[in-house]
Amino acid sequence: MGALTFTGIRKTFGTNVALEHLDLDVHDGELISLLGPSGCGKTTALRIAAGFEMADAGIVSVGGADLSDVPAHKRNMGMVFQSYSLFPNLTVALNVDYGLRTRSIAKPERRRRVAETLELVELTSMASRYPHQLSGGQQQRVALARALAVRPQVLLLDEPLSALDAKVRAALRDEIRRIQTEVGITTLFVTHDQEEALGISDRIGVMSNGRLEQLATPREIYRHPASAFVARFVGSMNELPATVLGPDAVEIGGLRVATAASAGFTHGESVALLVRPEDFVAHLGGTPSAENGLQGTVTAVTFQGPTTIISVRLDRFDKLVSAEMNTAVAPIVIIGDRVGVTIDATRALAERADPAVQPARV
Amino acid sequence: MAVVTGAPVKRVRRRFGRLGPNVILLAALIFFVAPLIAMARFALQSIPMIRLGWSTLFDRWSLRGLTDAFSEPTFGPTLILSLKLAAGTVLATLLLLVPTVVFVHLKLPKARSLVEFLTVLPYVVPPIAIVAGVAAFFRPNARWFLNSHYSLIPFYMVLALPFTYRSIDAGIRAIDVRTLADASRSLGAGWVTTIWRALLPNLSSALISASFLTATVVLGEFTIARTLLIETFPTFTFEYYQKSPQGGIALALLTLVASTALLGVLTLLLRRRARRRGGTVAVNPTVAVAPTGGDALSGATAP
Repeated sequence: MGALTFTGIRKTFGTNVALEHLDLDVHDGELISLLGPSGCGKTTALRIAAGFEMADAGIVSVGGADLSDVPAHKRNMGMVFQSYSLFPNLTVALNVDYGLRTRSIAKPERRRRVAETLELVELTSMASRYPHQLSGGQQQRVALARALAVRPQVLLLDEPLSALDAKVRAALRDEIRRIQTEVGITTLFVTHDQEEALGISDRIGVMSNGRLEQLATPREIYRHPASAFVARFVGSMNELPATVLGPDAVEIGGLRVATAASAGFTHGESVALLVRPEDFVAHLGGTPSAENGLQGTVTAVTFQGPTTIISVRLDRFDKLVSAEMNTAVAPIVIIGDRVGVTIDATRALAERADPAVQPARV
Repeated sequence: MAVVTGAPVKRVRRRFGRLGPNVILLAALIFFVAPLIAMARFALQSIPMIRLGWSTLFDRWSLRGLTDAFSEPTFGPTLILSLKLAAGTVLATLLLLVPTVVFVHLKLPKARSLVEFLTVLPYVVPPIAIVAGVAAFFRPNARWFLNSHYSLIPFYMVLALPFTYRSIDAGIRAIDVRTLADASRSLGAGWVTTIWRALLPNLSSALISASFLTATVVLGEFTIARTLLIETFPTFTFEYYQKSPQGGIALALLTLVASTALLGVLTLLLRRRARRRGGTVAVNPTVAVAPTGGDALSGATAP
């Protein structure tokens, strides 16, 4: 195993800049997810690591060794693709054996490793089947076994779960994490699914327009997003038009709301305050007495099992916000109920408002 | 009061509904089969042509026309040369075309329309124009090239290009060639191993079709061989026809039947293979039954 490092990677396709100065260090045995919307450059970064694309500038290294000019087949990396990519003419066992045979490993050792890897992904009984005889989840497990059998230094996963249905996806995600932890392999996981990234990663790199916006633990990314883009992309976010009252408060619809997010803005400046749904607390009856309280009418109730999301149209200005409540302790609300909403803006984020959109006042 | 039931009406409709397609099918069958029967009667019945009619349908059938042709001293050498040319053309075409099509798909996808256009050119340019142009260039510059019988191979490759390119291209489109190639390379295989072990086995149907079409072109090509004064099986057939029309037609019929039989066998094999493999090949893909038992690693690739 070894740490995977990108240093100053730049890649363009014609006039389109796919990656701009990417610096990323995946520690030995760590699993980092690159998360971002389509076209943000995450797959390009992975393909550069694999050697399928050459960077215009910068260095890719594994365990300190510069691989920038090493062709893909000599990089000793295992890769799992979005489409299953198994060789249709080979059985499961022969698929897993492919990389071992390419490396001219002796047959007894190959047999042992194939058996061992199939056991790891719990597919020993499927060894003699052909790919078309397996489900999507099983095929991806074979692809994972095939990638691991060659004992690569780094494992690259290119949206391996996106072709699977929700239940299989969740199960395989946990299995990938289990195997990755068990083997202790350095892993770069590319996904556009925030739930996947939050659930599987040691750290997440959120990408936008070819740049790494933030690299941090899942909790850090969610609770303390470094930018409005990260805040919006990871989890859901309410946006409230506000006016800065000082470094520790803003005004929303005539109400003073305490928040540190206004620090760095000038008094009277218009901003958008970004607040997570779980940072709104709804009170049935619509009479919150505390500071930061707003009133409104419930327009939708979405039961999600452990949590319930209610949509509230605020009275003071025509704005719809979502509040997340713990189902077990939350009051039962129905559409049309009057509720009071208290904003806990301590973890809120502010960004300069679009001048065209002024905050509504009472 | 009359009671009209739906079933007989449906039956009548079904019967008349089928009538149209059946008539067309019958007409097509007559159009294609009648000349073959006429050919067979002319070639294999020892009866003067003027007396060939319904009354003599079963009279004096004989293989003498064919056996006479077989005993011609140039029959064997020309047939063997044509078979060698067919094998050489197939080999050279596959060696040249498979990497080219893979390369175009993976590295130059924008050039695909240009390559497709180029492969259609042999349809547009008549063989006589090709051979006249090439001969005019090579005679003064490299006569040795035209002196060899195998100088026909490049011409045949060009002539077969519209069929072979499309066949291989269709095979490559049917598989996810980029992902398979990337997967193979990520597992440590270079380009040659990737093409040999990951791509070719999954293109076998396309390759067999391309090979068959190439061989058919070679075994039927007359103009170029005749112009370059090289005696191949088609030129022998033509010359023998001048000498013995009955034997010439018998040879042509044999070639036709053999080609059709080969095509039939090929289709059956591909269909059987597709059933076993479960849908990765272009011919009638169906889901196969899981093979069971045995040592998985000692197993070969899918049949």
